[in-house]
Amino acid sequence: MRPFIDLWVGVQTWLFETIVGPVLFALNLMEWFEPAFNAVEFVMLGAVQIAVIGLVMRPIERRFAGEEGEDGLVGVDRIYTMLSKLGIVPLLVFVVAYPITNELEHLVRLLGFAPPRLERLIPGLHDNALASFLVYFALYDLAAYWVHRAQHRFGWWWALHSLHHSQRRVTVWTDDRNHILDDLLVNLVLAVFAQFVGVQPDDFVLILLLGRLTESFSHASLDLGLGPLGWLIVAPRFHRLHHARGDAREPHIHDHNFAPVFPVWDVLFGTARFDAGPRPTGVDDREIDADNGRGWLGQQVRVSRRFVAALKPLRPQTRP
Amino acid sequence: MKKAFIAALALGLGASVAAHADQVIVLNSEEASYSVLSRGLRMETQRLPLGREPHHLIQTPDGKEVLVASTVTNELVVLDAKTGERKRVVRDIIDPYQLGFSPDGKWFVTAAYRLDHVDIYRYDGSFKLAGRVFIDGMPSHLAFDSESSTVFVSLQQSARVVAFDLKTQLIKWNVEVGKAPAGVAMLPDDKRLMVALTGEDAIVTLDPKTGTTTGRLQTGRGAHNFWPKGDGRHWFLSNRIEGTVSLIDTQEMKVVASLRIPGGPDCMDITPDGKELWVTQRFLRRIAIVDLATMKVTGSIAVGKSPHGVFILKAPAVMPPPVRAAATD
Repeated sequence: MRPFIDLWVGVQTWLFETIVGPVLFALNLMEWFEPAFNAVEFVMLGAVQIAVIGLVMRPIERRFAGEEGEDGLVGVDRIYTMLSKLGIVPLLVFVVAYPITNELEHLVRLLGFAPPRLERLIPGLHDNALASFLVYFALYDLAAYWVHRAQHRFGWWWALHSLHHSQRRVTVWTDDRNHILDDLLVNLVLAVFAQFVGVQPDDFVLILLLGRLTESFSHASLDLGLGPLGWLIVAPRFHRLHHARGDAREPHIHDHNFAPVFPVWDVLFGTARFDAGPRPTGVDDREIDADNGRGWLGQQVRVSRRFVAALKPLRPQTRP
Repeated sequence: MKKAFIAALALGLGASVAAHADQVIVLNSEEASYSVLSRGLRMETQRLPLGREPHHLIQTPDGKEVLVASTVTNELVVLDAKTGERKRVVRDIIDPYQLGFSPDGKWFVTAAYRLDHVDIYRYDGSFKLAGRVFIDGMPSHLAFDSESSTVFVSLQQSARVVAFDLKTQLIKWNVEVGKAPAGVAMLPDDKRLMVALTGEDAIVTLDPKTGTTTGRLQTGRGAHNFWPKGDGRHWFLSNRIEGTVSLIDTQEMKVVASLRIPGGPDCMDITPDGKELWVTQRFLRRIAIVDLATMKVTGSIAVGKSPHGVFILKAPAVMPPPVRAAATD
């Protein structure tokens, strides 16, 4: 394991000392060099994820595809993936979110509240790194589950999140197809949660990697339930039901299977459905469906308008 | 095979190894733990949990204990300075990013890097908050004058250094010094305060009475942190972006040696026999060992994520006053 860590941080250090550090130095931004070093790791993890998606998941998906056609709709999702995983969108989100989370942290800690560590509350967790990681991972996923439910519950948030659902050709590239404002809101909530619960930076890196890879795979165009494992980890079949296109009989079918990684949250809170069989994906709403065929910028502009319209209280909500 | 056997033996005998006096403590700031290293074996023998984001540590004035500060959990973990054994936890020390004792041992000061305040405590074995001064932005390092009347604090984001009167907690002066000032160190003559400019490739000297800049010395990009060699004349300086450690002759005010230590070199400590300098390599998750006779890196030990503060356990008798005063850097 140590040789791998040395290789990984060696590359990270080289990138930082050769490119990022000198740029920060030249721009007089040296007070940010610690977060910038961690940002290099974020981008490296993003590159790993893109490689896994493109070289492993996508060939599997193509070989065993559950649905066919309209491949032209997938290209824009690749752009979302690149912008997200290579740090462009996260950097914008950080610039906006940091002052907010920082002020919150100031306030909370000046009131004398130190985030409790689970290791102090749960005996045995202290000396078991794997158990500790899994507990933090589960808690983070639980928070993400409720954020996801909120995205579907509130009309104004659904106006943003509906972009993610509008894709008729859901594939392993679809996970990052989100409006920037949606990304900002989700990250704000999860960052505050991480501060309060106390997710460690090193745990957070692994949670991010494993969580996002699982989510990419769960969007695969595969009718794959993973057998008994599908009760532990969200499988493509489970998540694709969440992306299923509603119809007159089941207009709210996508209000199920919200969990990002662990389906247990849907089971516990009564939103799980383990139905088999492929279904068409997308949203049964002409306005939302029109996202298909547009480029990245066109979608961002269009969804921004949808969001503003949803904020007007007298206007009918866009949520189906 | 032999190394593996020694490692197994060391880990198996962790408790007794902890009692040896050749231990080195390294704070893994991004994984809430500290590593215990064996100087003899040149390896990590234990990794023990701590509160969140431990960055710096310091020996108490009586030399018997080491205070490890966990910034996010607002606490000081007290270790035995000879054995490294954990003794107790002092809570409600808010955001203790940087910490230090005045040379007379009566004042304890912390710099809250994230929360932008400097806390001044009266110390008599316990901590009584005398004053909290909110100040922008990112107070990061601190040093004292030898009379224990003033503490000097660098403000990394504001490009300034501020001097506080310890008794009144009032600001004596507050001056702009250069980009991203970090490490501060008072020279033994009490006439020059050195300030490392992390946003530049230099250090400046200030008149401690007025804050006036009296000199400047080019060192390396990302000049960050000082550590005294122990002879009252030479000081080490880590240059984080350049990945070097400079040796500064403070009488001549020139760099007399420079050593390549990659991976964001930061905090340092010297072995009690004065033969080795140990330097944390934040980015590489390692600690480098420098032989001071040859000025060459002779070893590198793997530790946890973002190793920051380092402390070589030593008996109280081997902790001379100048080093103790400078330990706040």
